[in-house]
Amino acid sequence: MTRAVLVRGTLAVGLLVLGVIAWRSQPSSDEHAITARLEALRNEVNTSTKDGLGTAARAAQIGSYFTDDAVVELGRGSPPIQGRDTLMGMVARLQPRTAAFRMDLDDVSVDVLPGATAADVLLTASFVQRSISTGEESLDAHEYALVMTKADGQWRIARITAVDTLR
Amino acid sequence: MEPTVRSGALKFVNRLAYQRERPERGDIVAIKLAGPHVLYVKRIIGLPGEQLEITKGQVYINGAPLEEPYVRKRWLWDVPKVTLTSREYFVIGDNRGMRAADHDFGRVDVSRILGRVIF
Repeated sequence: MTRAVLVRGTLAVGLLVLGVIAWRSQPSSDEHAITARLEALRNEVNTSTKDGLGTAARAAQIGSYFTDDAVVELGRGSPPIQGRDTLMGMVARLQPRTAAFRMDLDDVSVDVLPGATAADVLLTASFVQRSISTGEESLDAHEYALVMTKADGQWRIARITAVDTLR
Repeated sequence: MEPTVRSGALKFVNRLAYQRERPERGDIVAIKLAGPHVLYVKRIIGLPGEQLEITKGQVYINGAPLEEPYVRKRWLWDVPKVTLTSREYFVIGDNRGMRAADHDFGRVDVSRILGRVIF
């Protein structure tokens, strides 16, 4: 076997290994779908009621990102929010403030569980509030663990739990 | 000290600071949340293995009061005694002129400390 054949063989194996690594590190279509879904939720939350839809319609739209029996646990002694209807009621009450409020989602990591009907998601949610009087912005960021489930081809949030970064 | 800092908020963090040495009391550190793009910026006041408590705003380490010249306003916080594990630091902000419930502070695992804030 000549040296040239050896070099070509090594290169071919190297390229194959790189290809496999690249293929395996590609996010799956479910990971893409979940990320896109969360991005859409972020946009929905950040859209002011002045942009068209009424308060109730906007709350219903945001509610559609959650399962019927969704649970939101914010920790720090606050009781869990149980069910989509309760959540929508709270969103409807918050809506008038949204012009001075913005939510961002960063560092989203998705782990689709075997069977591809449930996924664990970890993210940082930042809430930027702008003072209407001074225009000054304040930032409040927290880490959240989400459980998302897939039904009828759509990923929805089944549980949100606040993570205590500082205990 | 700001409670939280977003990526792009022009804070410089030395991510190699703790490769060879351990974080020290007084260091201002960047702490990861779910990832490195949004960070807490806090001061270390408690080291692994120490007992810490706050009584009427005064921090005590292993029973001795901690001098904190960097704290200007001090609300009368009370935090019951905690013992830090070998992997935990106690971090807090310098701005304590508000209710404790409105301030993020507490024990943090060493793995969450991203580096030392330079400025």
